[in-house]
Amino acid sequence: MPRRSSLPVTFVVPTLVILLILSMVPTLYAIVIALQNRELSSTAYSYVWFSNFVDLFFDRRFLNAVWVSVKWEVVTVVATMAVAIGLGVLMFEVASPRLRNIYCLLFIIPVLLPRVSAAFVWKFAYHPLYGIATYPYRLLTGGLIFDPLSKPATALFAVASVDVWQWGLFFAVIVLKLLETLPPQPIEAARLDHARRWQIHAYVTLPMLKAPLISLMFVKMIESLRSFDLIYVMTRGGPGVATETLDMYAFSQGFIESGKVSYASAMAVLMMIATVITFTMLWKRVQA
Amino acid sequence: MKPIRLAASLGAAFMLSATVSTIALAQAPVCSAPVKVLAQPRDGLTLLEDSKDEFQKLSGASFQIDYLNENDRRAKSRADASTVGNYNVYYVDEANVALFASSKWIVPLTDYYPADYDYADFDPGRQKVATYDRKVWFAPLTGGGDLMVYRKDILEAAGIQPPKTLDELIADVPKLTNPDKGIYGIALRGARGSGANVWRWMPFFKAYGGQWFDGDKPAFNSDAAVKATETYLKLFKDSAPGTQTGSWDESTGAFLSGQVAILVESTPLSGMAVDPKTSQVVGKIGFLPPPAPLTGGGYGHGLAIAAKANADDASKKCAGLFIAWATSKENEKRRLDAHQFGELNRTSILSSKEFADIYGADLGQALAETGKVTAVNFWQDPRWPDLGDRWGIILEELVTGTRTDIKGGLNELEAYANELVKK
Repeated sequence: MPRRSSLPVTFVVPTLVILLILSMVPTLYAIVIALQNRELSSTAYSYVWFSNFVDLFFDRRFLNAVWVSVKWEVVTVVATMAVAIGLGVLMFEVASPRLRNIYCLLFIIPVLLPRVSAAFVWKFAYHPLYGIATYPYRLLTGGLIFDPLSKPATALFAVASVDVWQWGLFFAVIVLKLLETLPPQPIEAARLDHARRWQIHAYVTLPMLKAPLISLMFVKMIESLRSFDLIYVMTRGGPGVATETLDMYAFSQGFIESGKVSYASAMAVLMMIATVITFTMLWKRVQA
Repeated sequence: MKPIRLAASLGAAFMLSATVSTIALAQAPVCSAPVKVLAQPRDGLTLLEDSKDEFQKLSGASFQIDYLNENDRRAKSRADASTVGNYNVYYVDEANVALFASSKWIVPLTDYYPADYDYADFDPGRQKVATYDRKVWFAPLTGGGDLMVYRKDILEAAGIQPPKTLDELIADVPKLTNPDKGIYGIALRGARGSGANVWRWMPFFKAYGGQWFDGDKPAFNSDAAVKATETYLKLFKDSAPGTQTGSWDESTGAFLSGQVAILVESTPLSGMAVDPKTSQVVGKIGFLPPPAPLTGGGYGHGLAIAAKANADDASKKCAGLFIAWATSKENEKRRLDAHQFGELNRTSILSSKEFADIYGADLGQALAETGKVTAVNFWQDPRWPDLGDRWGIILEELVTGTRTDIKGGLNELEAYANELVKK
């Protein structure tokens, strides 16, 4: 009987231990803090168990933050995927290989910009008097003022457009490259059957790319959960609480306004549970 | 004779060694490591960085300043002071000095501020703001009250005299607004924060007789607060675009670029307004105290010695020396020479001939008069940032129209204040 090698264990165990420590220690610590009443301004604390969690459900800003986070997630993911697929297919259909390369280069630039820089650039672009993004409105209306970041109805979409500008264009490049890797035979067969261009993509190419497109969507969903820096720089959660997402409200309670770190941790724990459940369900549904 | 000679030799040796060690001690550097400072951007601090070598010679070590904008600086310094304590010196302000002092995140400054640097020379108003619980906590980098800065040309063209009362201001502002010409009657602050929209709202609150607390009982939910908010929202209809979610930068930026007729803002604005490097309205402006009965928002920002990062006395002395040097007469003179009006805090500089030569008599007169109406408008308590920021969000909601019920907002704030007091 051949002797089993201990080499895999030697390599895997230390890595797993490190990963476990890195992921579990902060998580467990956050859970413990969430059950206490710690505040930054005091070293005294005691266990209040689930009191922070109960309080959250009577906190109008928390409930608003949940709703804003859901809106943010849906708007950015759907818009990014729509822009990515639309632009990817358009480039595939109309651009020559040389032109495609130029577009790819241009479309990758926004995502290379640090989030904070992109946020500042667009914050100025949306300025009601000097902004380049609001200039067409001023031109068409004879100088009327439009301030998208200070209007509750438009602020979230204005910030989301920056997220889509960064990720939608980048994903368009990936979609184009995926289309280029497809075997040409099914597309040719569809053409011989007189399928129209949109029909070829709707019924042949995109269904063939279902798995990578779903992966891309998951990547974007996770990335959208981490848009704190973008929203913070552009609106700080305002106007009022119109763009205050859960992570921003947690940060605000923990460090900006109150120093209630336990209350903020309770939010973080709830966010973690909700994210794990949602993603597991979605993943299982997709797998099925 | 031998024992005498021996004793004399020993005595001489002792004296020599004592002298040498005294000299060595006198020359021993005060600082053993670079001083780490967490601050918000200030022209005075940027200028200070040009003199790093001078501090190195004085103390034996250099310094490093990390800059964050006001709200971020407040959040970061709070997090740092209560946890790791990475910074030797914090930039603190009137709104959070009570919190930092009562939480023992900073130490009393005068214990470690060398007497030669003459703390008593600072403007008395700023010294008052830097004092909490009868102890001095920071050395001022900036401070003052409010001034009304107005465009003489716009007011003259409209046939309007500069408003002396709040009622006149309320009446004049809509008349001065002319969006077709890109002119707005006023610029206010809409962005949330105890140091942002709440700061500008508070003079109205005080003008109508409002007060924050009566003992431990919240007293702000009053007719004065409702009237102040209504007036603020009414004036906001004529506030320059971009200010609804903007703060100091946006409102002063709008004035300095020529879009605003009247601005009641913190005193550093006046220095910026007469400086051709920062202002497009030089020569067209006048200064007056805020229209009565508006109170000026007394404020002060400065440097304080961190408690955690300066665990021993030597580190505290080093941080104290840095603060004393950074706010010294010599450095303040450099700031005057660089026309950094907002960075001047010492009476010896503010009353100097050079100051009058640079800024003129009008501004000096207005500054003297506004000093009489400058007041501490906020609740001087460690819980103020918490309460002020909460009102800041409600006020921003009211300004941007996400909510319309002023009384409902005040009720919500009162419930929150009661929770704070219970703790």
